[in-house]
Amino acid sequence: MIRTLLRLTSARVALVLLAIIAVVAVLGPVLAPYDPLKGSGRTLAGPSAKHWLGTDYIGRDVLSRILAGAPLSIVSTLEVAGIALVLGTIPGILSVYLGSVVEWLSLRVVDTFIALPFLVFAVAMTALLGNGITQAMIVVGMLLAPVFYRVSRAATMSVARSQYVEAAAIAGASTAWIVRSHVWSKVLPSIAVTLANTLGIGLVVISSLTFLGIGIQPPTPTWGGILASDLGYLAQKPYAPVFPTLLILAAVLACNLLADAIRDAAGETGRALTGAKTARSNRTRRLAASADPSRS
Amino acid sequence: MTSSAQVSADRDAVLTLTDVRIHNDAADEELVHGVSLRLRRGGVVGIVGESGSGKSLTCKAVLGVLPEHVEVSGGSIELLGRDVAGLSPQEWTALRGTSISAVFQDPASYLNPSIRVGKQVQEVLRVKQGLSRAAAKQRAIELLDAVHLHDPEYVYEQYVHELSGGMLQRVLIAIAISLEPEVLIADEATTALDTTVQAGILDLLVELKDRIGLSLVVVSHDLAVVAQLCDEVLVMRDGHVVEQGPTSEILHTPQHEYTRLLVAEHEQYGLNSSATGPRPPAPVSVPVLVPEPRSSTMPASTEPVLQVDGLGVHFGRGRGRKQALEGASLVIRPGETVGVIGESGAGKSTLARAVLGLAPVSAGSVQVAGRDITHLSGRERRAFGRDGVVQYVFQDPLRSLDPEHTVAVSVAEPLRIRGGLDRAAIDEAVRRQVRAVRLDESLLDRFPGELSGGQRQRVAIARALISSPRLLILDEPVSALDSANRVAILELLRELRSTVGVAMLFISHDLGSVAGISDRTIVLYRSRIVEAGDTARIVSAPAHPYTRLLVGSAPTLTSGPTDRVQRERLRAGLFVS
Amino acid sequence: MSAPPPALTAPSAARRGVAAHRIGRAVASTARLLAIFVPVFLLGTFLTYLLGHLSGRSPAYLQLGDAASPQAVAAIEHKWGLDRPFLVQYGDWLGSVLHGDLGTSWYNGLSVAHALGQRAAITLSAAGVALVLGIVFGFALGALAAHFHTRWPDRAITTFTTVISVLPPFIVGIGLAAVFAVGLQILPAAGYVPIQAGLGPWLSHLILPAIALSFDTAADVARQLRNGLVSAYRGNYVTGAIVRGLGPRRIFFVHVLRNGIAPALAVLGLKFPNLLGGAVIIEAIFGLSGYGVYASQAAVRGDVPAVQGVLVVSVVLVVVFNLLVNIVLNRVTPDADRGV
Repeated sequence: MIRTLLRLTSARVALVLLAIIAVVAVLGPVLAPYDPLKGSGRTLAGPSAKHWLGTDYIGRDVLSRILAGAPLSIVSTLEVAGIALVLGTIPGILSVYLGSVVEWLSLRVVDTFIALPFLVFAVAMTALLGNGITQAMIVVGMLLAPVFYRVSRAATMSVARSQYVEAAAIAGASTAWIVRSHVWSKVLPSIAVTLANTLGIGLVVISSLTFLGIGIQPPTPTWGGILASDLGYLAQKPYAPVFPTLLILAAVLACNLLADAIRDAAGETGRALTGAKTARSNRTRRLAASADPSRS
Repeated sequence: MTSSAQVSADRDAVLTLTDVRIHNDAADEELVHGVSLRLRRGGVVGIVGESGSGKSLTCKAVLGVLPEHVEVSGGSIELLGRDVAGLSPQEWTALRGTSISAVFQDPASYLNPSIRVGKQVQEVLRVKQGLSRAAAKQRAIELLDAVHLHDPEYVYEQYVHELSGGMLQRVLIAIAISLEPEVLIADEATTALDTTVQAGILDLLVELKDRIGLSLVVVSHDLAVVAQLCDEVLVMRDGHVVEQGPTSEILHTPQHEYTRLLVAEHEQYGLNSSATGPRPPAPVSVPVLVPEPRSSTMPASTEPVLQVDGLGVHFGRGRGRKQALEGASLVIRPGETVGVIGESGAGKSTLARAVLGLAPVSAGSVQVAGRDITHLSGRERRAFGRDGVVQYVFQDPLRSLDPEHTVAVSVAEPLRIRGGLDRAAIDEAVRRQVRAVRLDESLLDRFPGELSGGQRQRVAIARALISSPRLLILDEPVSALDSANRVAILELLRELRSTVGVAMLFISHDLGSVAGISDRTIVLYRSRIVEAGDTARIVSAPAHPYTRLLVGSAPTLTSGPTDRVQRERLRAGLFVS
Repeated sequence: MSAPPPALTAPSAARRGVAAHRIGRAVASTARLLAIFVPVFLLGTFLTYLLGHLSGRSPAYLQLGDAASPQAVAAIEHKWGLDRPFLVQYGDWLGSVLHGDLGTSWYNGLSVAHALGQRAAITLSAAGVALVLGIVFGFALGALAAHFHTRWPDRAITTFTTVISVLPPFIVGIGLAAVFAVGLQILPAAGYVPIQAGLGPWLSHLILPAIALSFDTAADVARQLRNGLVSAYRGNYVTGAIVRGLGPRRIFFVHVLRNGIAPALAVLGLKFPNLLGGAVIIEAIFGLSGYGVYASQAAVRGDVPAVQGVLVVSVVLVVVFNLLVNIVLNRVTPDADRGV
């Protein structure tokens, strides 16, 4: 599947974008030309050779602040997605196997998490549990977990009800065997798709929270925080929000592209496995198949 | 067959196809290479062929509902003396329903799931005939009554998911005849329905033809269905009409090799009208390769492989409690093949699943090779499964084989679950088993998607046999296959029975395949065993009314109007529609 | 596969039951919905209350500062009833919530219900206008795309909805403010005017936040409707209706729309929490003093009853909205079972 994935142009574009962002996240603070916290006399300056992206309202170099803010935004996004992955996927798969009580309870908890207005709850929890980035990430990770729960549960269920799993059960296979040899490989692609999507959502949520000043203390630079301060000076420098926005959008777009590419690649691999002949042959056969209701 | 003089001379022809060719523009490929037929007023023309033979496309062309990018590229279709080629969408809309209508396979999908079925009968009457709401409802109920649905007022109020397939097909027929069209196309209209239900629908079509003067086009993959109804038959394969002529000629002097295969299938694995005779001998087949019959090495004990006593199964509780099986008893001795027949929902699969411990047993006991396995714990059940005494073959091999596992991996799975064998031993066993089901060893690295339907079912059988089971349960093993593969798999099972000596529980809704393979047969009806005995006796002298109806309903190449009357009497006795 | 088991109901009993059957069906579907939504409500409020409890915040520190003496803290906590067991406190609080009393703010001693009531108008106006925009544009785009399935308008709309669904609301908000309020100066950048002051001024203050909020909903509704309609058109019952001689308009409005609309309606239920949540950040951008701003201020101050009040109100709004969506869905497609 990975080889199919790497053949897709969209996947390549996404991976290159993500690689650039990763480099920025790791080396950002080192690359920053100025001290991101030190102001200067030149406030709200436009882009120039000295300050590529201009300066902010107390004369700090915008490029340096964006680069310095990168690690925090990226790393916390990764942590959020990781927490959601673990908290969602494991109960999602287990809910199919652990009996109806566990199933009912976990479904209701997930329903509740989905019903809670996401940002309101994140804001409330983060603030009440002590205004820190770690709390913020745990909360956001928890709130994103239902997506993983639903995806992994749905995928597991469709496999668990399949006849080949029943055949293995008849031959005396244990649940562990079934999960290992039949379920896992079919659940993985949809989880990968969800993970890529969640990275994008996580970045937006983390940026939203830092935009509101939650989870982080100024003057620590964050992408959301930079946007918030730009908003106050829209009249003087209306193009200021463009730079952090472009970065966030590029990252989100890369994640979405990657998710779509994984979905395509998984679909293609799946088709190749379930009906290589049909997949390889021309469209006529498929049309004829769809036209003939007796072929089921 | 295609002379214009002949066409113009046909005054009483309601539908005439002249060398109709259907072309797929997207792939630039011709799908149907010239079909000609002439349907007289009140006549019945049949088209037989496998899926992909172009028979359904031909019907869709006549109805003007070909899929996108597919169109009629040659020849002409004349409906009531009018060439349909130049019809505008509005003219088509006016024509459909009033002059020509159709019913298809899988009736549930042809009704809107969100609207009560009665409203959908009413809708046509209101839109096309401008009837008032009340008059249309009145007429709709009359129509539902006319297709012999019990209690039409009740049916009127139901949604699709609340009715059975046979009832839905009757509703669709009611809609199709509501505007009194001249031509009705029945495209696989009885496929996938139970045998008795199928016979009921076919009887209804014949009755309607006589009563309201319908002309019918009957399309089926089953030669017997078509032979029963039609004056003239077209045999299609790969878009070609390979043979065409009066029904009796096709049946008695089939010219084309494919037609002969179809006829032969019914003679070997069908019920002859003279089903009283002994079972037909096994036809000449490929030389048997596996030499040593296993049964000879075993002690010739008569201890049953399977003994089921008073087995009861029910699902749900309280008011929703549903008895799925009641007081079922049966015995299978080593090497014996027992057939189980009954309509869907009669409890056939429940019986099989209860034997495997997959259904909750509420009464009675199941003994396999002398061991009581009725109430095993999960752990004991798994250990029993690893012993591999009982194995199971599903209906649809495409779904019962993991698409991501190669043939070798799938076949080896029971041995790998059992453990204790090294890689080389497993590999050797897999190869031996694959040879035994007559698959080429080069297929071992293929995925199920790369195999044909018959090959896949052979893989599934190999997987079931690799743990040397004493009992093989086959749940509709040939129902998902086309004619040629069905015959081949039944041959294989016969052969394995004598070479491997495994006992079989063969479940099917098709009396023909059960009769062709089992020593004894059990008839299930509404969760009970209503009749059991030697297969030959069941087929020749059925005792229970349901069995009589079943035997009378099984499609045969020759059955006449007297059968219909008999069936109607039996149906009345059983309260089935 | 084989056909479903034949429903061999005894005819006479069935006829007697037609009316009772219908009522029974309605009762059963309502009961099924309640069995899903009541636990969600209880669990949601419980989590909300537990959260406030776990935060370890106390009105004492809010009023007296960090240097308060333990005795003074205990006295104040006793006054607020915080020295009782947790479950007793929760039961008490839930009881008053059910009576519409959300408690009093630790910060200024005012009624939370009253404060939220004043602000709800602003938030619900913004979310409501966003919902309407999302539905109108979502349905229009979705239906257009389905109509021109696989042709260029479909591709254009699909690309457009993909792009706008990626844009986070706060970025859209900032962009809209920069262009229309600061750049072109045709709409106010901040503030709120009640609807009593006139529809024009009210809408002019709300339209930018509402557009920013609606993008996500519009995109998802459009995509679901398109896919729903396209797959409904592929249904055999459409072929069936054509063969019966029904016209294309009737087929679309009676048969296709009814079955194709369900996924779009379902996604609407899922989007509602996002609209409420998005309001928090949109209010901050456009200077609206709605309940989102109230929530973040209260959260930062550690005003537990106020935060709990906001959460309870949002859970109730979401549950009620989803109930409505599900009732509509049950009427439109009576054959499907579904959860939240």
